[in-house]
Amino acid sequence: MIPSRTSYWLIQHVWVFYLLAAVAVGVFLFGVIIHVSVWIKGIRRQTIPFSWRGISNLFLDGLLGRRIFRGDIAAGTMHILIMWGFLGLFVGTVLISVDYWLYHFLSGFFYIWYSTCLEILGLMLMIGLVWSLIRRYIQRVPRLERRIEDLTVVIWLFAVVLSGFVVEGLRLANQSPEWAKWSFAGHWLSFLFTQPQGALSIYPYLWWVHALLSLGLIAYIPFCKLFHMLGAPASIYLENQPLQAILAESRAQDKEVFSYRDMIFFDACTSCGRCVEVCPSSGAGEPFSPRDFIVWARDNLLMKYHPLNHFNWFENWITRRHTKEQVFEPQKIWHCTTCKACLDVCPVYVATPDAIQQARSKLVEEGTHMPPLLTQSLKNLYKYNNPWEATKKKRAQWSRDLEIPDISQSKEAEGLCYFVGCTTSMDIRAQELARSFARILKYGRVPFGTLGKREPCCGDIARRVGEDGLFEKQMEDCIELFRRYGIRDVVTSSPHCFHTFRNEYPAFQALKPPEEQVEFRVRHYTQLLRELVAAGSLKLGKPLNIKVTYHDPCYLGRHNQIYDVPREVIAAIPGVQMVEMAHNRADSLCCGGGGDRIWQEDLDADVKMSEIRIREAEDTGAEILITACPLCLIMLEDARKTTGLEDSLRVMDLNELVAMVMGLDGGGEQE
Amino acid sequence: MNIVVCVRQVPEVADAELEIDKEGTEILKEDLVMDINEWDNYAVEEAVRIKEAHGGKVTVVTLGDEDCEDVLRTALAMGAEEAILINEEGFELSDAAGIAQGLYRAIRDLPFDLLLTGAQCSDDGWAQVGLILAEYLGLPYASLVVGIEISEGKMIVQRELESNTVEKVEIPIPAALTIQTGINNPRYVSIMGIQKVRKTEIKETNSGELGLSEEEIGLKGSSVASQKLSLPPVGEGAEILTGSLSEICEKTTQIIRDKGVI
Ligand code: SF4
Ligand code: SF4
Repeated sequence: MIPSRTSYWLIQHVWVFYLLAAVAVGVFLFGVIIHVSVWIKGIRRQTIPFSWRGISNLFLDGLLGRRIFRGDIAAGTMHILIMWGFLGLFVGTVLISVDYWLYHFLSGFFYIWYSTCLEILGLMLMIGLVWSLIRRYIQRVPRLERRIEDLTVVIWLFAVVLSGFVVEGLRLANQSPEWAKWSFAGHWLSFLFTQPQGALSIYPYLWWVHALLSLGLIAYIPFCKLFHMLGAPASIYLENQPLQAILAESRAQDKEVFSYRDMIFFDACTSCGRCVEVCPSSGAGEPFSPRDFIVWARDNLLMKYHPLNHFNWFENWITRRHTKEQVFEPQKIWHCTTCKACLDVCPVYVATPDAIQQARSKLVEEGTHMPPLLTQSLKNLYKYNNPWEATKKKRAQWSRDLEIPDISQSKEAEGLCYFVGCTTSMDIRAQELARSFARILKYGRVPFGTLGKREPCCGDIARRVGEDGLFEKQMEDCIELFRRYGIRDVVTSSPHCFHTFRNEYPAFQALKPPEEQVEFRVRHYTQLLRELVAAGSLKLGKPLNIKVTYHDPCYLGRHNQIYDVPREVIAAIPGVQMVEMAHNRADSLCCGGGGDRIWQEDLDADVKMSEIRIREAEDTGAEILITACPLCLIMLEDARKTTGLEDSLRVMDLNELVAMVMGLDGGGEQE
Repeated sequence: MNIVVCVRQVPEVADAELEIDKEGTEILKEDLVMDINEWDNYAVEEAVRIKEAHGGKVTVVTLGDEDCEDVLRTALAMGAEEAILINEEGFELSDAAGIAQGLYRAIRDLPFDLLLTGAQCSDDGWAQVGLILAEYLGLPYASLVVGIEISEGKMIVQRELESNTVEKVEIPIPAALTIQTGINNPRYVSIMGIQKVRKTEIKETNSGELGLSEEEIGLKGSSVASQKLSLPPVGEGAEILTGSLSEICEKTTQIIRDKGVI
């Protein structure tokens, strides 16, 4: 006898099965429609072009689970077992239908091979599921939640596979074909059924149980976190597509703040909690977590745009349910420092900082749910062009005795424009950064100038909190000055200005007619320092014999991938021993000043983020903590004082260190 | 509940280096940043909140030149419905009673239940305009208000007195209140918020239309006139301490001790 598949053995009323299958698929499709009908309400910020990179990411991140493996091999393996098991069984089931309806090919050797594969896939899935339960409920991996859904989804999947094996075992016990041993799992199970006759009588019931569980699961997918099997591929594909800028004007007309891409990201999120684990705000015990934000945003969107909202009773019901369950208040989005740690670890690229920025634009428009100090800072930003409430005159005061050419005063502005930035210009501590850098540039004979008291804010501060109208105004001021003085080469003190010039301006410039666009090169000062070091223009003589550590500013590191450049400068200083903190480079911890947190009042926390960071620096045993951002400098300097580390640890900007080694530190200005 | 709020544009002086003109009568304002008077900002916010809770509309009134349109736009963006600009530079040297008179003429025919002003202005600091205005209008009033509860035909307001004392008073509606800072948290007004009210009409009037002659406004119409403005002389006795942090602290404690504080 040729091995082949028996379908609907002993099953009567097969039409009932087809009917139920149609219902299940209908519910599934309806669920998908619900998601899509939310997505289409989102702002269109990108087109979806064909992209090989997208395809290759789909393969690497989707099928191979690259990002799930990263940093957590156990989770990666567990997920691969479940995903491949599930996908394999799904394909297997499709093949059965093809075999039954279209073309009979499951026979002979191929059938045996096919059954064995399915056995393996089923076992993989079961092992993966059990492992996931162990991780969540026995190991209690801290980042995992234990909601009802987390349990039902796993149990349900498990029940589907188990019932499948049992039904197969029963059938094999009765039919005992000679190829049964190839369906090894079912074959083993068949030995349990020692009374084939009795087993036979329950077979149809068990078959129906298996059928109902499977069909139910299909219908359940769009309504639970399993929907990520559709959402995640979409978000992985969209991740690297270029984004268009949205002008504040059109944003003001849009009812929705999120783009469809954000919404797809939300749907891709599986609440895995990796983002919570790395979020500095959550880590400091603040009542905020990126995952809570996503769940809140997703629920709100569903509540707002659910297609059944046409029926009043439904709208009332869903609104009541969500308002009752909600623990996240919108004001909490002010906690985010936009450090991007969450996005870097998210397996499905959920761009939380970006989405938070969009959500903030709504709160800024309403104006009522903002931290009072932030309101004050933004008002100052508008009135004084800096958040420090300092008049224009004060902007250039840091350079009084340094004789720096003012580009706006000279006729031809060849050479480099040093864009000092608000904080570096105004804050007494941060001014040292600028003074050291200016001295180094002079020493290296780099022709440069500043915009003096005309220098505006680059707009970063407004941008980070979603005050896009103000951001655009400041961007226009900047662009206008750059155009007027023919500035084509810019170097910044702050990674924030650098990021804004480099990554935010171009999308807005692209919206303008070509003749109005202004192009310029922008570098962060660390890049320029490295060039000077490489060219041998700096005399890094005086061996220091000192141990230092380096704090990666979020906007230099994660946002712009500049990790090695500052380390190379440090390494070039003779006698300096560099030690890394526990969190460094891509998983560096935020100092707590980003996302305009520095211009807000302290929010509830168990401990300040900056203090957590300074303790890490302390643990390295370094004498100097180096950083490359005025905000980090202020935050960490402050933390050094509040933690009483004043005698054992110094906080310095990289410029200060270099200037010190070169003997350019102006002598005695430091206390 | 219809509410009228009087607002004023003032120069920001917190961090500015002030200069006085040659005659010694006026502060030079060219380089100063102008903004809504802080107390008035709280008053507008309070008015908008009351409106949001009880319905009605909010009208803001200001007295000044064309540039003062900015404070009205800010108030409109915060949620006021109507704005009146008494476009009249002649009030420049008016005393509190003169300013109150100008406002009174513009307000007296408006239908309203509540009149709010800031407790004082940061420029002249009279802290009188709201109260004189209430007198002109014949309204009961309360000053330095830090809390308002509205009920049928009356309200309970909290007044801030010295050393953290709060007085609760009952006052019938209509009434006039002068608002103290801290009564609320004024909302942020975004650039787009201002853009949105760019086209809202602002009613303009002037002293002529209000029936005030040149004699009645400005310096001529005032019984209080500024004689001379001067910056406080740079005092003596300021000393900048140098040294390490601990040295500075030690010196500071020594000075405090020497002065007999502790
Ligand atoms: S956003 Fe990403 S990292 Fe965070 S819970 Fe969702 S899937 Fe996990
Ligand atoms: S950007 Fe940083 S602070 Fe904001 S949610 Fe992500 S991890 Fe948390």
